[in-house]
Amino acid sequence: MLERIFSEAPDFFTYYNIIFLLEAMLATFLLSAVGCVIGFGSGFFLAVTRKTTSLAYLPARMVAFVFIEIFRRTPFLVTLMMVFFIFQIANVNISLFTVALISVCFIATAFISEIVRGGFDSVHQTQWDAAATLNMTLFQTLRYVIVPQAWKIILPPVFSFFILFIKDTALASQIGVVELTYAGKVLNNKGFSAALVFGSILVLYFALSYPLARFGVWMEEKLAPARNR
Amino acid sequence: MNYTLQFGQVTEFLPYLAGGAWLSLQIAFLAFCGGMVIGAFGAMAKTFGGRVVRGITAAYITFFMNTPQLVQIFFIYFALPDAGILLSSYEAVLIGMTLNAGAYLTEIQRAGFQSVHRNEMEAAETLGMSLLQRVRYVIMPHIAKVLFPPLSNQYILMTLGTSMAAIFGVEELTGRAFNINAETFRSIEVFSITAVFYIALTLVASMSLGLAGRYLFRAKMRLI
Repeated sequence: MLERIFSEAPDFFTYYNIIFLLEAMLATFLLSAVGCVIGFGSGFFLAVTRKTTSLAYLPARMVAFVFIEIFRRTPFLVTLMMVFFIFQIANVNISLFTVALISVCFIATAFISEIVRGGFDSVHQTQWDAAATLNMTLFQTLRYVIVPQAWKIILPPVFSFFILFIKDTALASQIGVVELTYAGKVLNNKGFSAALVFGSILVLYFALSYPLARFGVWMEEKLAPARNR
Repeated sequence: MNYTLQFGQVTEFLPYLAGGAWLSLQIAFLAFCGGMVIGAFGAMAKTFGGRVVRGITAAYITFFMNTPQLVQIFFIYFALPDAGILLSSYEAVLIGMTLNAGAYLTEIQRAGFQSVHRNEMEAAETLGMSLLQRVRYVIMPHIAKVLFPPLSNQYILMTLGTSMAAIFGVEELTGRAFNINAETFRSIEVFSITAVFYIALTLVASMSLGLAGRYLFRAKMRLI
């Protein structure tokens, strides 16, 4: 195994292969980053929807609940296939990258919405009551009372979800999105040994994920002592 | 968009899909149990081990937590045969998932170990409790309460993670959905039914685990 890796390495690490791998790495990063940013926006919106209390918003609350439960409990691969086939049947001409991005957005919305809701709930009930006593609207309560306290609790888990999803987007290779895992499969099909190709892919994922994970730990420690409960 | 949903053809395959769901549960359960064993040893090594042992465990955890499970299984399935280790797709998936779960479960269990305060142990000792009593009445209830919610959460994530096995040709829930899709071309129907199966599996799991956690371990858990 090792001799084969060493004999193939010079052919493998050529200029074009390295560019190909780096571009694929960028696609992996973008898929997760853009998906999580959009997912944060819509997830936040859904979490706020679930915090409403009036009867008029009951249907919206139900829709948000069902949406979150469905996408939290469906594997990414199945969501990916669903979105892929729906666009195929609707005959819409969009790139595979967009298909994967939309699936990531759905899953990220559901998971981040739960994280945000947990953050809202972590603010003590007395704070909510006090805001209600001051006759604040839900928007004012969130804007001036809850979010300033909750964002420190929300941000670290959202960031670790983003890092988790860098790794989960490997599944997007199954519908043919050119990201890191797909690049590995292409190079493997070109005849390089699996040990060399997937070994390098593992190293590249590690190089992408590890610094971000360290940053996440640093951020969590930085924000933790400031919590006042 | 002219498309009429036709579930008729797919409903014939429901028992076939249910068999796949059973295999999914099996994989998730086996990988979780294996991961728990690795995690228990890993957590002990990280808490009580010497420098070298701690370093090795930390390297194992960081590597498996920072690389995708899919590529790990690719490596096990496609690269290990070069070194003379031939595994069936089922074995490769199971080993990959177990090793991956082991890393996450090590971290969870270590956090559980650390949550037992030294003072509590000393208090139990002052009361004249034997080691067995201390483990039974002080450590276990405490650790169970802290550990149970993240463990059940991990189990549910792993149930969803088993869908990865389909890529290697294991005929579990998603794998069988691929087969039916290839046979009937009713993609949307097949995958929506598969999604319903997954939702049912995880709902049952999280409800029963939530009930168990609430009433057996006094953990604060939501049922849904």
